Amino acid sequence: MEAMSQQGLHIRDLRCRVAGNEILKGIDLNVESGRVAALMGPNGSGKSTLAFSLTGHPQYEVTGSVELDGQDLLALSPDKRARAGLFLSFQYPAAIPGVKVANFLHAARQAERPGDLPPAKFRALLLEKMEQLGIEPSFMGRYLNDGFSGGEKKRLEMLQLAVLAPKYAVLDETDSGLDIDALRAVGESIAALRASDEGRATGFLIITHYPRILQYVVPDVVHVMIDGRIVTTGDHELAHRIEREGYDALRTSAVV
Amino acid sequence: MSSAVQSPSAATEDGRELFARLDSLQLDAAVLSPAKRRDALERFLATRSGREKPGRFWRIDFERIVPEPNAIRSAATVTVEGGGPGCIVTNLTDAAQRHPELFARAFGRSGAGDGKFGALAAAFANGGAFVYVPADRACDEPISIHCGAADGEAIFPWNVVLVERGARVAVIEKVSGGAGAFICGVTEIVTAENAAVTYAVIQNSGPGSRVLSHRIALPGRDASVAWASAELGADLAASEISVRIDAPGANAEITSLFFPSASQHVDVVSTVDHRAGEATSETLVKSAALGDGQARFLGNIRIAPHAQGSDARLRDDALLLSRRAHIDSVPALEIGANDVKAYHGATVGAIDADQIFYMESRGIERQSAERMIALGFFEPAIERFPTDAMRAELRAQLAAKLS
Repeated sequence: MEAMSQQGLHIRDLRCRVAGNEILKGIDLNVESGRVAALMGPNGSGKSTLAFSLTGHPQYEVTGSVELDGQDLLALSPDKRARAGLFLSFQYPAAIPGVKVANFLHAARQAERPGDLPPAKFRALLLEKMEQLGIEPSFMGRYLNDGFSGGEKKRLEMLQLAVLAPKYAVLDETDSGLDIDALRAVGESIAALRASDEGRATGFLIITHYPRILQYVVPDVVHVMIDGRIVTTGDHELAHRIEREGYDALRTSAVV
Repeated sequence: MSSAVQSPSAATEDGRELFARLDSLQLDAAVLSPAKRRDALERFLATRSGREKPGRFWRIDFERIVPEPNAIRSAATVTVEGGGPGCIVTNLTDAAQRHPELFARAFGRSGAGDGKFGALAAAFANGGAFVYVPADRACDEPISIHCGAADGEAIFPWNVVLVERGARVAVIEKVSGGAGAFICGVTEIVTAENAAVTYAVIQNSGPGSRVLSHRIALPGRDASVAWASAELGADLAASEISVRIDAPGANAEITSLFFPSASQHVDVVSTVDHRAGEATSETLVKSAALGDGQARFLGNIRIAPHAQGSDARLRDDALLLSRRAHIDSVPALEIGANDVKAYHGATVGAIDADQIFYMESRGIERQSAERMIALGFFEPAIERFPTDAMRAELRAQLAAKLS
């Protein structure tokens, strides 16, 4: 029982200040292995701040507790959090000229799972995942996110997710700015990862404005964040209600 | 007493010993006559360098750089190999003696011997490579030059590359002086129309050494010349890289990569002189500094009033990897014509925190992330070097400097 309760990404009373302003005002949230939690909310509600707080953004002052399978995440540097099994799909991933996609992915896989795949097998894995995402093989020789379109960046984030198969994945608005084909490719790649041996146990926190992506990945639980707080929690029906009614109704109830 | 003239006592004292050394060495007269060598030495002693003065960061006084007379060798150790049928690939003195017409078409034509250190190189020019490629010859394999000086030696290599119309060649050079060596050299490229020449050099000299180089190319009509240089070693590396476009339709490329670490000093001056129109030039400079490393880059683009249709680009990025490292970048564009394109872009700064955070979020340790980002920063310049072996060597040497 004791060991069971440690499984999961458990966030307790998480508060975050950025440049002196309190953005997160006490978040409690669980992401369980193999399950999907959706986090919805209007612009500026603090969703991305939560994602960066979990990842360890150097300029954020964070208090509270976050445990990843029982490990104190907030005590770790960002690279150690990743090696503990946390992944963030960035809304705006950094461009790194001169660093090739293939080399970067190999370095990341090596960092997170040292020596687990010989280079030839890693390459085969990469090609397989790229095909799944509809990514051209020439992508591997391009510089990381340098000159990439919005859609290409998001596909590359999903490629990293597939190659790293983390214990917990936070997707920060991976669906925003995507056309319908890119959205389908992203949605299907997440579904494929969840169906694979490597990704079966991955727990997801999907941050989004819109329920579109939730057609591909049906959430087990939906949280709504407004003004740095979780104001309501429900099942996937809540996402559809938000689509029909917007956030205003929830905003009113939040004040009450 | 004019302050523009070097202190007479120092000049006289240094000068007397240098003249005595020059006379005693009896250097090859076919390359340059004794009288012209004496003139050149006089010019060296009387000319100011016009380069960076010592200051808060920069600690080298160019006006006081004088080779130790007794360290000066009678012959520079330069080896050259490669070339195909009809090519002449030999040393400078051999070329001056056996191919005087070809020699005269290129040697000294660029004016490389006019400046302070060019004059010094001319005075003691005691070897170097001579490369001649006949018309329409496409050399598949690069010609390779190695320029070495033993510990404490002073050498004055002078390389000449003469390429006829429609010919194509790549020359790769390695400059590696030993500890405390003094290398003051010139490389001249002269081409006929439609030729294509790439000249790439990696300088990795030992501690305490000083390497001064002057490289200048004169492309013919519709010809292409590309310089690529990497200054990695030596206590002081001072490099002038120039293309003088006298004929229309030429295409010039200058790539300069330098990386002073510890207390190394690097001074690079690039110059593209558009004296004829309808020519394009692209200058790419990638520099980083670590430790107490100091660098200074001056990028000249000149477009003469009649050089209409010129297209000149200059891009220079500097990466500061420590608090005491310092890089000064000074672009200098003189545009005399109105129907031209001229572009200049520059950045200077530390590694972007967002890039580090992104890589860390993928499990990569901070130090590894910084090294990957810094190596990546140089990559666009590395890719312009002509062979896999050269690119691999650059990556390895840069990685070694970073670790």
